[in-house]
Amino acid sequence: MKRSALVAAVGAATLVVASLVWVSTQSDGGGQAVEELTIYSGRSEEFIAPFLAQWEQESGITLNVRYGDSAELAAQILEEGENSPADLFLSQDAGSLGAVASADLFTQIPDSVATEIDPSFIAGNRSWVGVTGRARVFAYNPDAVTVLPQSITDLTKDIYRGKIGIAPSNASFQAFVTALINEKGEAVAQKWLSDIKANDAKIYLKNSAIVEAIDQGEIDLGLVNHYYIWEVATALGRDIKVKNGYFASGDIGNLINVSGAGVLATSQKQNAAYDLINFLTSETTQKLFVEQTHEYSLIPGLTPPQGLPDFKSLGSPRVDLGDLANTQRTQDLLIKVGLL
Amino acid sequence: MKSRTFLNSFGLKALVVVVLALLLQPLAYLFIRAGEKSTSEILTLLTRQKTLEVFLTTLLLLVIVVAINVVLGTAMAAGLHYVKIPYPRLFLVASILPLAIPSYVFTYTWKALFPSMQGLWAGAFILALSTMPYMILTVLIAFQKIDLGIIEVGRSLGLSKVALFFRVILPQVRRSISAGALLSGLYVLSDFGAVSLLNVETLTVSISNLFKSSYDRGAASVIGILLFLAAAIFIAFETTLKGRDFETRGNEGFQNSIRRIGSPAHSLITVGVLGSYLICAVLIPFYVLISRFLANPTAVEVTDLITAAAATISVAALGALMAFALSLPLAFLISQGKSGFATTSERLILISHALPGVVVGLALVSFGSRLGSLYQSIYLLAFAYAVLFLAKSVASTSSALALVSPQLKEVAATLGKSRSKIATDVVFPIALPSMSLGVLLVFLTAMKELPATLMLRPTGMDTLATQIWSAASISRFNEAAPYALILVLIAAIPTFILTLPGTAKGTSASEKKVSYL
Repeated sequence: MKRSALVAAVGAATLVVASLVWVSTQSDGGGQAVEELTIYSGRSEEFIAPFLAQWEQESGITLNVRYGDSAELAAQILEEGENSPADLFLSQDAGSLGAVASADLFTQIPDSVATEIDPSFIAGNRSWVGVTGRARVFAYNPDAVTVLPQSITDLTKDIYRGKIGIAPSNASFQAFVTALINEKGEAVAQKWLSDIKANDAKIYLKNSAIVEAIDQGEIDLGLVNHYYIWEVATALGRDIKVKNGYFASGDIGNLINVSGAGVLATSQKQNAAYDLINFLTSETTQKLFVEQTHEYSLIPGLTPPQGLPDFKSLGSPRVDLGDLANTQRTQDLLIKVGLL
Repeated sequence: MKSRTFLNSFGLKALVVVVLALLLQPLAYLFIRAGEKSTSEILTLLTRQKTLEVFLTTLLLLVIVVAINVVLGTAMAAGLHYVKIPYPRLFLVASILPLAIPSYVFTYTWKALFPSMQGLWAGAFILALSTMPYMILTVLIAFQKIDLGIIEVGRSLGLSKVALFFRVILPQVRRSISAGALLSGLYVLSDFGAVSLLNVETLTVSISNLFKSSYDRGAASVIGILLFLAAAIFIAFETTLKGRDFETRGNEGFQNSIRRIGSPAHSLITVGVLGSYLICAVLIPFYVLISRFLANPTAVEVTDLITAAAATISVAALGALMAFALSLPLAFLISQGKSGFATTSERLILISHALPGVVVGLALVSFGSRLGSLYQSIYLLAFAYAVLFLAKSVASTSSALALVSPQLKEVAATLGKSRSKIATDVVFPIALPSMSLGVLLVFLTAMKELPATLMLRPTGMDTLATQIWSAASISRFNEAAPYALILVLIAAIPTFILTLPGTAKGTSASEKKVSYL
């Protein structure tokens, strides 16, 4: 009896708290004259929040930000369809933007928006625009890897057996596979994937996990985006024994991908969303991205992040980022070879 | 009483059907999405080698964890109940405390000490640590309910302590062991946190990968249905194994006269086993969390912590109460005697328990986004918790109801009491403590839930779980530590209530009710 009474009391108290919390979120939400913008952000809070806070201050518009994994948020927008409460989708990669674009859920972004960005990083039909650039690289432990791979096909050789890490469920790896299929055809891509699997490549969920595994000596090298060596070092609060390596010029392994933004067709606040995109793509903000998150600016001619080769000398293959949206074929192929 | 006329069998069944319809939405979603794939695509997906590997990995993990739980969980419960040990209350509370620690926090903390930890056995180890309290708690309550008269009979027949335990006591708690195995097995099937971090590719990880990587909800749904089938097989197996109900339940009034075994050898072994478990499941996680926190105590703002804690508590409590309300019609129905309908409903709810959060989350996104302001409100999130964890409520409720001896009901019936009167006056008073145990279990589990919370929480609302996730996903464990500590400390409160004296014993109140008859 004593205990049931206690449970009842705790239950009642929590209900009161619950309704209070709910009421308070409600009064923040509607009613007032303050304009709000709802963002689904696949970019992690840590790195994008300072930029968003600055825009809030400049524009006087409050941002409601829903943070998550880019692909999961894209899946969520696809499920929500026309009922999506989101105004703007910020994604870590072109693939997730492409998936939402192919479902016709993005509006066409006017020419007057993101004028400074290199047009090759804007979707052909302007359904989304690139915000920052990132290069695919191989991260490696310089003490353990004596022979650096010159091309992705080198990775299937015996000397790297059991020493490579990949993240097949990660969007950035899939964008690379999509580019591989587009360039060399499905048969070649399938052979490469089967070969790398047969070479005992270790599977990780995330790029950062690969970099950590290299640092801990679990593996010697892995396919990741260029900025993870800084991200992991910052997170661990110490230097790590991992370096970025680049394949020979023109190799598909040096693919450049972008993070980007798209505006929902159902949004009632598209102009405010465009304003935020303009802020993120302005030269001032772009320079901050280069300094703080070690990403490439998409404005032609801006200096690359410290210690990195510039965009052109990366030797990245010419790939239409719009083509990276066709992830279904990539997915099917990865399922077929058993990497998913 | 109005309820007497309303809650007749037909009305109850109708209510149960409504609850089932609500609950099975995620399942309907899976079939709708899977239906978008062609038959040949589905066949290719199901027959490829990878699917078989994943399926076998899942089964193996399930069997290992359940086996560890059955042996060690039962042994620890027996030690806690029958053996004289120092600080018994402390040991009891501590051995239930791991319930408060999410599997992904277990994994993070263990990986902090042993970075190379991964694979099937690591997964089995972490999941056994996380699910052990379910077994301990369920079996412990059953021990407390055993009719001491039977033990006295055994003793007077000259049975040794060991023989007494294996031949008299164990058969009495077989159903509860089975229920504990079921809870921990379903936990294993739906767990995502531990297995994904340890690189064990189970069905749940596979589903999440498919969802995430390509927005291919069709393929993920096919694997989701496979997981659903695995759960169904497991539940059917458990039902066969546990066999017919022949336990006798007696007068709980004798409880106080329990004689604990006082021999030093028994005490030493008990303390040894419990102690090792507590080192692995309590001390190590706490040590890592606290040392990470102390490494950078100002990493997190106090206001952020309080806001996240308030949000977590309120949504989880709402979800637990919703789950309780939803479990009531079925509980009533079962208490009026088992029928085919009740058994089937109970199993359906159990099977839906194995559906991972990501499936339930997406299904409710799909249906919920049509609901206007209810979408991304705490109510829909609480409903998701109710859907995800109703099985816990129902399992505790039905095992609570099994504690009511049929003779008692027969006596009431011969005294001319109606069926609903028997339910409200006889069955529920005895079962109530175990039922509130179900509510607390849902509350605890909901506080730790992650994937559905990420999808359904109000935009901008952070819970402790989402904060831990967002810090840990970029490897900032120092920042995750204070949130994890607060989560564990808050969850420790209901855990403590769970272990209060008189927890699931027949309380004096229920005895009084019985004597009114």
